[in-house]
Amino acid sequence: MEYGPPPLFNQGVSARARLAFFSLVAAALIIIDAQVNALDAIRNGVEILLFPVQRVLLWPRDLAVDVGDYLTTLGSLNEENARLRLLAVEQAKLAQQATQLQLENDQLRKLAGVRERVNVPAQMVVALYESRDAFSRKIVIDRGKKDGMRAGYPVIDEAGVVGQVTRVFPLTAEVTLLTDKEQSLPVQIARNGLRAVAFGGQEPETLELRFLPANADIENGDSVVTSGLDGIYPPGMPVAAVLHVDRDVKDQFARIVLKPVAGMSRSRILLVLLADPPPLVPAAEGARAGPSGNLRGDRAPAKAARR
Amino acid sequence: MRSLWQRLGGERLEAVSASLRPPTVGRSVRPEQVLRPVRPAFIWATLGSAFLLNLLPWGHAIWVPDFFALTLVFWNVHQPRKVGMGVAFVFGLLMDVHNGALFGEHALAYTLLSYGAISLHRRIQWFPAGSQSIYVMGLLLVAQLASAAVRLWVGGASPYWWLGLLSSALGAAMWPLLTALLLSPQRRPAKRDDTRPL
Repeated sequence: MEYGPPPLFNQGVSARARLAFFSLVAAALIIIDAQVNALDAIRNGVEILLFPVQRVLLWPRDLAVDVGDYLTTLGSLNEENARLRLLAVEQAKLAQQATQLQLENDQLRKLAGVRERVNVPAQMVVALYESRDAFSRKIVIDRGKKDGMRAGYPVIDEAGVVGQVTRVFPLTAEVTLLTDKEQSLPVQIARNGLRAVAFGGQEPETLELRFLPANADIENGDSVVTSGLDGIYPPGMPVAAVLHVDRDVKDQFARIVLKPVAGMSRSRILLVLLADPPPLVPAAEGARAGPSGNLRGDRAPAKAARR
Repeated sequence: MRSLWQRLGGERLEAVSASLRPPTVGRSVRPEQVLRPVRPAFIWATLGSAFLLNLLPWGHAIWVPDFFALTLVFWNVHQPRKVGMGVAFVFGLLMDVHNGALFGEHALAYTLLSYGAISLHRRIQWFPAGSQSIYVMGLLLVAQLASAAVRLWVGGASPYWWLGLLSSALGAAMWPLLTALLLSPQRRPAKRDDTRPL
């Protein structure tokens, strides 16, 4: 029979030593994760374990939404129906014109010798939940690596650009919204073709155009669309409308706040454009490359552009 | 002579015991109840369900208290030998994956929280639950600030991060309720018959 020391004195490793050990490990993990992507394997493993639990926990909310939908009154349904009918008629006209315009455009492009725009395949996804985080604007969608998602794919909804797939798990993927402070995309003003870069704004649910001179030709209500210069977002997709322009004399740059047109955190059904990001540019040419969004798995262009 | 000495000693003992008796004037003193030993299964069940509560799709309701942090503090204070910093660290990593945060951010915050709770656990237990919640708020705030500091260092913090501190205050407000709930199995009488009036 062996007896250990009495439990009164057997306290194990001291609390301070444990604190030091675990904090150091946590700090090391934070630094590794912030600098390189070496931990993605562990992250993917944990995500697979958590996935069924997360899905089950979404049921109460989905049930509440379903019950709410079921209890929608006849009146509001009729109203919505009428509105949708009007919309369908309006869009039918546009659709018929679109075929004609497409033909005309193809001909003109051929005449001008411009490469034809590729039709991007798309995948419909459902937003599962928003990450509960005061700092970032991210949502998790129900398709992952298994369904061909890749970091860098643009995400849109029925009104405009929503964001970009930034991290891919085996069964789910994380979309960083445009309103995230770390996110950026190249845009142009639809009215005059002025090119700029839109960043996530200081205020929640806004974007801002940085580095535009104080006398830039921008007015309230101007519509902002993607310029397609990064090769990730197709050109001409609606992004935002100018909310207000602050031309402060003491600043070199105008402060331009935009309101995104897409539903951002509100829309549940989204479309991921399966447009592969362009191949990485060599570092020497990197200085000319435009900002290409915040790609976690793909940091080289951003770093090169900063140089 | 001997009887006199005994009488004096007896009187002194009586005086000493009178001074030790709890004061009956003014605030009434709560009777201290001896708690039954806790079941480890109960600890893990509560920690697990608090973690599941955190996994619910709260979205941008950042004022929602961190249920897991609160439960962790509770067990660190009441059972520091059973629930320690290792548990805090592992659950923190899981939380990081769920939230898409940096790997280790919540792990660091929960480790600090756990250390604070374990080193204060003897002091905190002396206070009634209402006063305990002030200590708990301090602990939760420290953990949240640690997480915010990591964010500021990485550069992803929004200027509205302080809104999240509201969740610490709400969490602390929930502390007396949580104490009552989580201690109730230990407060059960030893024999079931004791609760019956007959």
